[in-house]
Amino acid sequence: MTVTKPILLAEDNPRDAELALAAMEEYHLADKVILCHDGAEVLDYLYCRGQFKTRLQGNPAVVFLDLKMPKIDGLEVLRTIKGDTTLKPIPVVMLTSSREERDLVESYALGANAYVVKPVEFHQFLKAVKELGVFWGVINEPPPESTGKSAS
Amino acid sequence: MDSSHGQGVPAQESIDQVQQASLDTTGTAIRSIWSRILRKFQAGSIERRILVGFCLVFAGILVISAVSYRNMTVLLRNSHQDTRSHELIQLLIGMGTRLDEAEDGHRRYLVTGDESYLKPHEILKERLPEYLRYVRELTHEDPAQGERVALLDDLVQRQLDAERAAVALRRETGFEGVRGIALAGVAKGELDAFHRIQTQMEQDENRSIHRRVIESAAMTRNTIVLLGTGGLLLFVLLASVYYLIRHDITERRRVAAELARRGELLVAANKELEAFSYSVSHDLRAPLRHIDGYASLLEKSTVHALDDKAKRYLQTISESAKRMGQLIDDLLIFSRMGRQEMLHTRVDLDQLIASVLHDLRPDLQQRDIVWTISALPEVKGDPAMLRQVFSNLISNAIKFTATRPSAAIEIGSDQRNPDEIVIFVRDNGVGFDMQYAGKLFGVFQRLHRADEFEGTGIGLANVRRIIHRHGGRTWAEGMLGQGATFSISLPTKR
Repeated sequence: MTVTKPILLAEDNPRDAELALAAMEEYHLADKVILCHDGAEVLDYLYCRGQFKTRLQGNPAVVFLDLKMPKIDGLEVLRTIKGDTTLKPIPVVMLTSSREERDLVESYALGANAYVVKPVEFHQFLKAVKELGVFWGVINEPPPESTGKSAS
Repeated sequence: MDSSHGQGVPAQESIDQVQQASLDTTGTAIRSIWSRILRKFQAGSIERRILVGFCLVFAGILVISAVSYRNMTVLLRNSHQDTRSHELIQLLIGMGTRLDEAEDGHRRYLVTGDESYLKPHEILKERLPEYLRYVRELTHEDPAQGERVALLDDLVQRQLDAERAAVALRRETGFEGVRGIALAGVAKGELDAFHRIQTQMEQDENRSIHRRVIESAAMTRNTIVLLGTGGLLLFVLLASVYYLIRHDITERRRVAAELARRGELLVAANKELEAFSYSVSHDLRAPLRHIDGYASLLEKSTVHALDDKAKRYLQTISESAKRMGQLIDDLLIFSRMGRQEMLHTRVDLDQLIASVLHDLRPDLQQRDIVWTISALPEVKGDPAMLRQVFSNLISNAIKFTATRPSAAIEIGSDQRNPDEIVIFVRDNGVGFDMQYAGKLFGVFQRLHRADEFEGTGIGLANVRRIIHRHGGRTWAEGMLGQGATFSISLPTKR
């Protein structure tokens, strides 16, 4: 299994980020993860601007989005991605602590591909992140538009 | 003060005092009655007060109308009688003139023998019955005048008779025979008497007219005063009733506005609560995840370096974090139960219990439980919430009979009261002391140590909250070591 495309992880909490990376490490996915600390950084990455101006072209394999983030929150980022024709095909997985019904409803209404509540228990968290990383980063076939774009 | 009345003065004073005292008592009595009426009136409901007000107005209108009607009748009667009086006077004058003419003509005939002078006499004779009938008709209400009319009748008859006799004599004897009569006038006395009586009658009628004019004037004045004061009173009454109604409406509007304001506050408070629980759900979980996560990472990276004691410490840290996560989740569910929109549909309890038992199968493995489940009625409510209720009650029963070698759980209903359906879950488990029965349904209230029976203590609080939202009641009966019965009631009408 070779992973060519990066996994974009949007997580403002450094501890959560570290735990997530520790989980990815188990499947050697950690080096593919690009960590963003807020919604604005996610959009900067996707639009190749700011600190990501010089990055390699192409969309990530998947975006893991936290709901509550500084500057631009997860739902806003999701709305921007799903409202942009070139970004729209990127799979977006909401990875959040919230189990509130309205967050679920709104996320799916905006076009989220999956919604995962972070378990409190570390082993379950580990399992969840690992499975997500493997599924979206390895098993899932990304949409051809983004492949085509990254090739150009 | 005159000293000669020295003895009389104290007596007089005492009489005055007695009178004064009796006046005072009357005054006090009236005042007390009045204040009692006023109190009673003020104690009445607004509807009653308005009704009393309108009744008073209606009664006032009735009284004014009745009195005005009576006064008006008197005025009309007087005016009618005035007309009759005037007619009578005119008639009497007319009759007098006729009599004078008859007498005059008759004398001329006696002197000249010319028959044409007898014409007035003939006319009088012819019309007399008619005149008399008319006069009698006009005076039949007054006996004194009636008597005079009889006199008049007699006088006129006598005059006519005398004239007739004189005419006969003239025809027999010629002028010489009646010379004396012709000069003196045959019925001079009767004629004078007639005029005297006529004058008396006229004066009588004029007096009556005068009396009636005064009476009518008084009546008119009375009516005007009555209408004026009555109208004023009615106006005051109506104004009071208007004030009452207006006051009531203002009060109601104020209450409605207050209610609306409180409703808004409640909505705001609810929103705040929602934001709070959202924040709890999102922000409180993260540190717990970190505690458990780093404890696990620490355990993993030092797996060979740590002794058993240190491993147990790490284990405890993880378990505590997990337990707190569970508590937060339960609290959030409890909070959501209070806010969530409720459905109101028919719920088949038999089906619901069956599905709950199906879901609880993992807990039932290696357990020997005797189930006694009666046929349950259909109820109205929110299916998901009621499912939560029975899931909690049944899993409690399973949990607290775990120490029994042979557990027995009974689910049944009691529909003796037509207003509510009671459903109970009875077990032969560890039971509880009735003195703690009040604490059972509280949030995070537990009667057992955590190492005896697991659980966060939110289950029964959820049961109570859901049943309360359905308009029902929850209660429990039990005895330490003898099992427990948990009952809920659901109203049949909502």
